[in-house]
Amino acid sequence: MAETTIAARVCETPGCDKAAKLQCPTCIKLMIQGSFFCSQECFKGFWTEHKKVHKKAKQDADINNDSYNPWPGFKYTGQLRGYPVSSKRSVPDHIARPDYAEHHEGVPLTERQMRGSTNIKILSEEEQEGLRVACKLGREVLDIAADTIDIGVTTEEIDRIVHEACIDRECYPSPLNYYCFPKSCCTSVNEVICHGIPDARPLENGDIVNVDITTFHGGFHGDLNETFFVGEVSDNAKKLVKTTHECLSQAIAEVKPGVRYRDIGNVIQKHAQANGFSVVRSYCGHGIHQLFHTAPSVPHYSKNKAIGVMKPGHSFTIEPMISEGTWRDEMWPDNWTAVTQDGRLSAQFEHTLLVTDTGVDVLTQRRENNGQPHFMDNM
Amino acid sequence: MSDSEDDDIPDLVPAENNRVPITIITGFLGSGKTTLLNYVLTEQHGKKIAVIMNEFGEGDSIEKSMSIGQEGELFEEWLELRNGCLCCSVKDNGVKAIENLMTKKGKFDYVLLETTGLADPGPIASIFWLDEELCSDLFLDGIITVVDAKYCEQYLNQKKMDNTINEATRQIAMSDVIIINKIDLVTEEELNQLKSRIRNINSYATFLETAQSKTDLNNILDLNAYDGKGKNSLEDLFRMRGYSTDILHKIDEDVGTLTIECKGCMNKQLFDKAIQNILWDKNTKNSNGHVMEILRLKGLLSTSEDRRLVIQGVQELYDSFYTTSWEKPEDRINRIVFIGKNLERLILEDIIFKCVTDSPAS
Repeated sequence: MAETTIAARVCETPGCDKAAKLQCPTCIKLMIQGSFFCSQECFKGFWTEHKKVHKKAKQDADINNDSYNPWPGFKYTGQLRGYPVSSKRSVPDHIARPDYAEHHEGVPLTERQMRGSTNIKILSEEEQEGLRVACKLGREVLDIAADTIDIGVTTEEIDRIVHEACIDRECYPSPLNYYCFPKSCCTSVNEVICHGIPDARPLENGDIVNVDITTFHGGFHGDLNETFFVGEVSDNAKKLVKTTHECLSQAIAEVKPGVRYRDIGNVIQKHAQANGFSVVRSYCGHGIHQLFHTAPSVPHYSKNKAIGVMKPGHSFTIEPMISEGTWRDEMWPDNWTAVTQDGRLSAQFEHTLLVTDTGVDVLTQRRENNGQPHFMDNM
Repeated sequence: MSDSEDDDIPDLVPAENNRVPITIITGFLGSGKTTLLNYVLTEQHGKKIAVIMNEFGEGDSIEKSMSIGQEGELFEEWLELRNGCLCCSVKDNGVKAIENLMTKKGKFDYVLLETTGLADPGPIASIFWLDEELCSDLFLDGIITVVDAKYCEQYLNQKKMDNTINEATRQIAMSDVIIINKIDLVTEEELNQLKSRIRNINSYATFLETAQSKTDLNNILDLNAYDGKGKNSLEDLFRMRGYSTDILHKIDEDVGTLTIECKGCMNKQLFDKAIQNILWDKNTKNSNGHVMEILRLKGLLSTSEDRRLVIQGVQELYDSFYTTSWEKPEDRINRIVFIGKNLERLILEDIIFKCVTDSPAS
């Protein structure tokens, strides 16, 4: 009897948030997921972009014939391919590590114990100091990674430098062995949304690459990431990266005691859509302190049911992933690499935040250049 | 298809409304849950129903952090039955596991998820009560609990060591439909006693009485308990149950249902704040100093909008959304149902009435 105001599907046209009750017939034929539109008119407007999806699907059907193919038969969504991943690096014994580092399946048992609990920890002064230090060190490591990025450098090489920078600072690189993640940081190139595994692929002119660093020091995790330009990138890539950074800045500007975690996504989605981009929905910001990932869950999309209100002493990340085309994601058979379903670009920025009595401290803020992200240095 | 063909813009076709309802079935071992599912699986009902059995709700297997986003795919085994039903056990527990199953085995009309006997339905419901924006193929339809007429009271009486609410009570409190099974094994008096006991905990669930878990499927499918589109609207439910006239000063230290009604315009912002205090900050206490613990929340509010505002909540998770227009001004009554522990009418009324801009009805 009743109609609800919430549409089950939203129109694919970037920026259009209308209910979608129509579907592209070609996509159905080609078995392309999604492709819902609000009206023929909207569909027509987006057609020149949309038809690329059909073309690509047909190209993909011809299957790749690369020399190295770890997953025969797997249909990549874009140009990027899997490359060989070198063996896990070790961390000297004197560096303290989180529980999952030694677990044979990389399971963070302390995090598991807290699962299901929506209770958000309030950090004591002392704990806040511990978190500050971990975040400051994380920032130093990311700045070092930033300096290494160049055409021809492999993501594996970035990982090596990150790993060593962590050890130099008495930090355990938190991603290492987290649910068996094989490397010390995540490197996400072009259509990779997040959790890309550093491998033997050399960075190419025109790539965008995100490096996500988490350092564990003194019992605390500090988590941050930035997206970088490799050589000369397209105007749209520039716009995407810039918009993504603005999404994070605008979201951070909202943070203060009394704000609901569910409202953060509204700001991000509004700004992304206003620029014709979409917000990835499968991955959220998270609480972080002695635990790498914990309550609260902070979705970046609007109209979510996230639990909790910000209070002084809460610490969490905001890390919007913004995509050029569809928000839908897919995973590579490595069970980590999240890519856009249409193979188009996705960018991300992240900070670890501490709620103060009056607002927020951005614990992973860059110390140089007014705290601006690295990509802006050359703009 | 050639490239020139690709330039002809095809006409859009209506999108399939392909969201599949999922119902969670709880109940203690021996209550008749399996008998109910066997009955569903073998009956000729013309529906393609997937019955999924797994360890949902087992302490360790509950939900994976969304930020990790792992892909579930471990189908242990499955059995396709002649009437189109599918019976399987899924080891992994993400929504993704069931979505993947549908990709492999084709869409179902309905998914029934059987939980282990001791499962707390709250966290499981939270997993499937997804944000609309995630555009999942699945949506939570409701929670059904099967109870054993003979042993249910015994389970309800069990005291937990840490003084938390026992599983039998949780299951009943969070149910949308309660099937009282094995009624042939108890006297009418015993049955009535049990019914009133259950009714005290959850006054809003639909009751079904069965002998061998045999019931009309229409009673347990398409409940729409979470989207405000149910067969029985909240208003019907209120009408059917009547306004509860429990004693004002009574404090229910057990789990019970409490309904608050008032006229006037509900200020949504104030109401949200009040509910968040109760659900999230858990600092609302009864006059004995015990924190009120909410297991299930439903409500229908009259705000400054012309449309009804529906509230739904399971434990800490809650949402509100506008539905249909109010037809007559006299229908505009705010009604909120709390199911939980340590509830006290006067205190909750005080909190809720303060969110109303006009003076509430006494």
